[in-house]
Amino acid sequence: MNGVGSVRELEKETDKESPLHSMDGRIKLILLIFIIVYAVFSTQLLVMIFLEIYLLLLIWISNVSFKTTVTRVLLLLPFGGFIILFQPFIHPGNIIWTGPIFGITMTDAGLMWAALLMSRLIVALTSIVLLSSISPMQEVVESFRKLGMPREFAMIFSLMIRFLFMFYDELHRISHAQKARCFDAFNKNLPYKWRMKQLGYTVAMMFLRAYEQGETIYLSMASRGFSDKSKLYHDKKKKIGSREYIFIATTIGLVACLQILAMFLFHQWGFVGMNIV
Amino acid sequence: MHIPDGFIPLWQCAIYYVILIVALYFSLNWARKNLDEKAVPLMAVLAAGIFAIMSMNMPIPFGTSGHMVGGALVAIVFCAPEAAVIVFTLVLLVQGLFFGDGGITALGANVLNMGIIGGVVGLYTFKGLRKPIGKYPAIAIAAWLSIFLAAEAVAVEMWLAGTFPLVQGLAAMGIYHAFIGIIEAVLTVVVILALEKLRPDLLAWNKNKNLGEQKPEPSEVAAK
Repeated sequence: MNGVGSVRELEKETDKESPLHSMDGRIKLILLIFIIVYAVFSTQLLVMIFLEIYLLLLIWISNVSFKTTVTRVLLLLPFGGFIILFQPFIHPGNIIWTGPIFGITMTDAGLMWAALLMSRLIVALTSIVLLSSISPMQEVVESFRKLGMPREFAMIFSLMIRFLFMFYDELHRISHAQKARCFDAFNKNLPYKWRMKQLGYTVAMMFLRAYEQGETIYLSMASRGFSDKSKLYHDKKKKIGSREYIFIATTIGLVACLQILAMFLFHQWGFVGMNIV
Repeated sequence: MHIPDGFIPLWQCAIYYVILIVALYFSLNWARKNLDEKAVPLMAVLAAGIFAIMSMNMPIPFGTSGHMVGGALVAIVFCAPEAAVIVFTLVLLVQGLFFGDGGITALGANVLNMGIIGGVVGLYTFKGLRKPIGKYPAIAIAAWLSIFLAAEAVAVEMWLAGTFPLVQGLAAMGIYHAFIGIIEAVLTVVVILALEKLRPDLLAWNKNKNLGEQKPEPSEVAAK
C-alpha cells in the first residue's frame, strides 16, 4: 500500500498542464480502462508491447515524469509479481530446465504464460499510473457520476476522497508521535503482545476519529442545508471537442488495428506473436 | 490478497462484477432503510479511515509483515455485512484506480473476497459463537476466519482462472493468511474493546440500550 507521500505526489502530478490533463474526465477514464480490458482480453505479447509503447507516448504528451511513472509501476509490480514468479514452475508444458533439488522443472508454456501475465500487469499498471497522474481524484468521481453511477454511491465516493487526505495526515501525526516516543512496531526488543496492543489502540483511535469526524461533518453539512437529495459534486460542463475525438479515434483505431493484426499477422512473428493460453 | 488485472479471464471478471452489482444493490437498499441520514457522511469517512488503516504495516511473527483488512470489523460494528460491501467497494475502487493495488477488471473478485466473504463470514461467525464462547473470543475467531476464508477464496478464484494450482494455492494462501489473521483477530478485538469503552453507542448491539448519552469529547477520547 502507498503512504501519504504518494497521495500528495499523485495530486501534484494532476496539477500539470497538457492536452491530456485538460481533456474531459469521462473520455480519459473510459479509454484507459478500455486499454486495460483489451490487455486482459489479449493473449499475445506483441499486442502488449504496442499498447505499452502507446501508453508511454501518452505519458510523454501529458508531461508526466517518466521517472515517477517507472518508479510507481516498479513499486506496484511485486503485488502480482510474486504469483508470476511461480508460473514457469507450475504450468504444464515441455520441460526446458530441471532443478538440482526437489525435482523442480521449468516449462516453456509456463515461461510464456509468466511473460504474458507480467506484460498484462505492466500495461494495466501504466494505464492506472497515467490515469491517476492526469485526472484529479474528484474529476474521476465526477466522471463516474456523469457516466451513471448511483447518486448516493457517488456522493459517498466523493466525500471519501475528500477525507482520504485528512486521514493520511492523522495517521502521519500518530506515527510521528509514536516515533517521538521511540516506539517502533518492528522493534523485536519489545514484547510482541505489547506492540500489538499499541497498534490496536492506534487503529481504534483512527476508527473513533473517523466516526466522530463523520458526525461533525454531518452536523456542519445539515446546518448548511444538506439533505439526502443534495448534490455534493460540481457538475462542470466540459464540451467534448476535437482533442477528445482525436484521442477516441486514435485509441479505438489502435486497438482495432492490433486486433486485426493479432488475428491475421502476428502469429507468423515467432513467440512474441503466438497466442498464449 | 488484492488480485491484479490480467490474472482472471474477462468472462470470469464479468461474473464477479454481476455478484458485485447485486451485492451493492442490496447494500444500498439496506443503507437507505436501516441507517439514518448520517449514513452518507459516516460511510464515506469510515471508508477513508479503513483506507488509512489498511496502509499501516504490522509485524507478523517470524519476521514478515502484513496489514489489517477490516471486513469483519465493519460488519460486526454495524451488525450488517452490507456495510462491509459498501465500504470495501469504495476502498478497493480507490486503491485500484489511483494506486494500482488490486485490478479494475478484478474489482468484483476483490470485493467478493474482502467485502462480501470477509463481512458475511465475520458477522455470522461472531453471531454463531457469541453465546457459546463469549463476545470477545467470538470476535477474534470471526476476524481470523474472515481473513482465512477470504484468502482461500482468492486461491479458488486463481485456480478457476487457470493462474495457480488449487492445492498449492490453498496451502500457500492458507498458511500465510493464518498468520495475517492473528493480527486481524487481535486488532479487531482491541478496536471493539476500545469502542465499547469509549463510544458504546456506536456499536450496533448497544443501539437499543440506554447509555445515558455519555459521549466523551474527542479531546477526552484522545487523552485516554
